[in-house]
Amino acid sequence: MSSPDPPAASAPPSVGPLPPEAYVRMTLVLRVGLGLSLAILIGGLAAYILVHPGATSESVLSTNPILGYLSFPGLGSGLASGAVEAFLTLGLVVLVATPIVRVLSGFYYFRRAGERAMTMITLVVLVMLLVGLLVIGPLVR
Amino acid sequence: MARLWFRVDLAVFVVLLILVAIAAGLVGSLTGLGGGVIVIPLLVILFGASIPIAIGTGFVTILATSSATGAAYVRDRLSDLRIGMFLEIATVPGALIGATATVFLTHANLQSALLIALGVVLLAIIPGSLARRHIELPPPLPSDARAQRLGLKGEYHDAALDQDISYNAARTSPALGVMFGAGLVSGMFGIGGGVFKVLALERFLNLPMKIATATSNFMIGVTAAAGAGVMLAAGYVNPVVAAPVAVGTAFGAYLGSRVLPGLQNRTVRLLFLPVIAALAIEVILRGFGLP
Repeated sequence: MSSPDPPAASAPPSVGPLPPEAYVRMTLVLRVGLGLSLAILIGGLAAYILVHPGATSESVLSTNPILGYLSFPGLGSGLASGAVEAFLTLGLVVLVATPIVRVLSGFYYFRRAGERAMTMITLVVLVMLLVGLLVIGPLVR
Repeated sequence: MARLWFRVDLAVFVVLLILVAIAAGLVGSLTGLGGGVIVIPLLVILFGASIPIAIGTGFVTILATSSATGAAYVRDRLSDLRIGMFLEIATVPGALIGATATVFLTHANLQSALLIALGVVLLAIIPGSLARRHIELPPPLPSDARAQRLGLKGEYHDAALDQDISYNAARTSPALGVMFGAGLVSGMFGIGGGVFKVLALERFLNLPMKIATATSNFMIGVTAAAGAGVMLAAGYVNPVVAAPVAVGTAFGAYLGSRVLPGLQNRTVRLLFLPVIAALAIEVILRGFGLP
C-alpha cells in the first residue's frame, strides 16, 4: 500500500484533491455547529429545570415536551414567545443540521471544481437528508 | 421496560445522564464504536426509557461524537472527504429506511422485537471489533473503474511509521452494499454502525486503518443526521434527555481524542467489549419480558 503506482493516469484531469480551504471550512462548520447547539441546549435545559421544579426522571421520560414545536410555524411562534421547549427544539435542529451543512459545503466545493459526478452525489445525499427531516419524519409521526 | 429501576429528581437525572454520557463519549471515541451502544441500553435498563426515545437519544450521541472528534480528523486530513461523500449515497437511504422501520415497529407495538434485535446487533458488533486489532497497511489492490472516475485515492502522513502513505479505493460495489446495511442498522437502532463502516472501508475499499477509522467517524455524523431527522420530526427525540447526553458525549469524545491519545485502543476495547456483551444480554432478556 505504501506508495504504489497510483491510478492518476486513468483519472479525468478535473478530479483532484479538494482545496485546503474546504477542509478549513468544514472544520469550522463542525465546531460552530456543535458549539452553538450545545450552548442552546445547556441554556434551555437549565431553564427547563428551573421552570419545572417538581419534575422527575419518570415524568420527563413519559412525555416529549417539544411535540408542539416540531413544525416551522410552531417553532417560530414558540421562539417568539420565549417558550423553553422551543429553544430546546432549536438546539436539536442545529445539532442535526450541522452534518447537513457539512454535506452542503462539500456540494459547493465539488461544484466549484467542476466535478459533475461528485456534485451529483452530494446533491442526492443532501436531498435525501432533507426529505428525511421535512417529509418522512412528519409523515410517519 | 415499563418498570423504572431508578426514579430521581430531574436535576439528579441530568447529572447522571451527563456522567454516563461522558463515559460513553470517552470510550466511544477511543474504540470507534460510538457512545450509543452504552447510552441506549443504559437508558432502557436504568431509567425505563421507551426504546424509540432511547434510540432517538442514541442518534444525539453519534452527532455529538462525530462533530467533536471529526473536526480534528478533517483538519488533519485523515478523513477522506471524497470517499466519505461517495459512500454516503448508500448509508443515507439505509438510515432513512431503518429509522422509518423503527417508527412503524413502535406504532405496531413491537418494541419487544426491537429490543431483542438491538441486543443481537450489539452482540454482532463484538467479533467484528475483536478483528480490528491489527494496524498493518493492507496490500495494494488496483482501483476499479468507478473509483478511478471519481478519483477515490489520497495520501497521508503516518506519524507512527514516519512516512507518507498513498492509497486508492478498490471494489466499490460490495463496499456500497455493506454501507447500505450499515446505514440500515444505524437508522434502526441509533448506533453509529462504525464497525460495519470500517469493515467496508478497510476490507472492501482496501484503505489503511487510520483513514478507514477517521472517514468512518466523518460518515457516522451524516448517517445519524438522516436517522435523527426522521426520529426528531416523528417526535422521538426528547431534548430533556438528549441535551445532557449531547453535552456529556461531546466532552467525553473531546477528552478521548485529545487527553488520552497514548492509551492503547486494544486495551480499552478488551475492557469495553464485556460491558457491551452484558448490556446486550440484559436488553435481550428484557425483550423476552424477563427481569
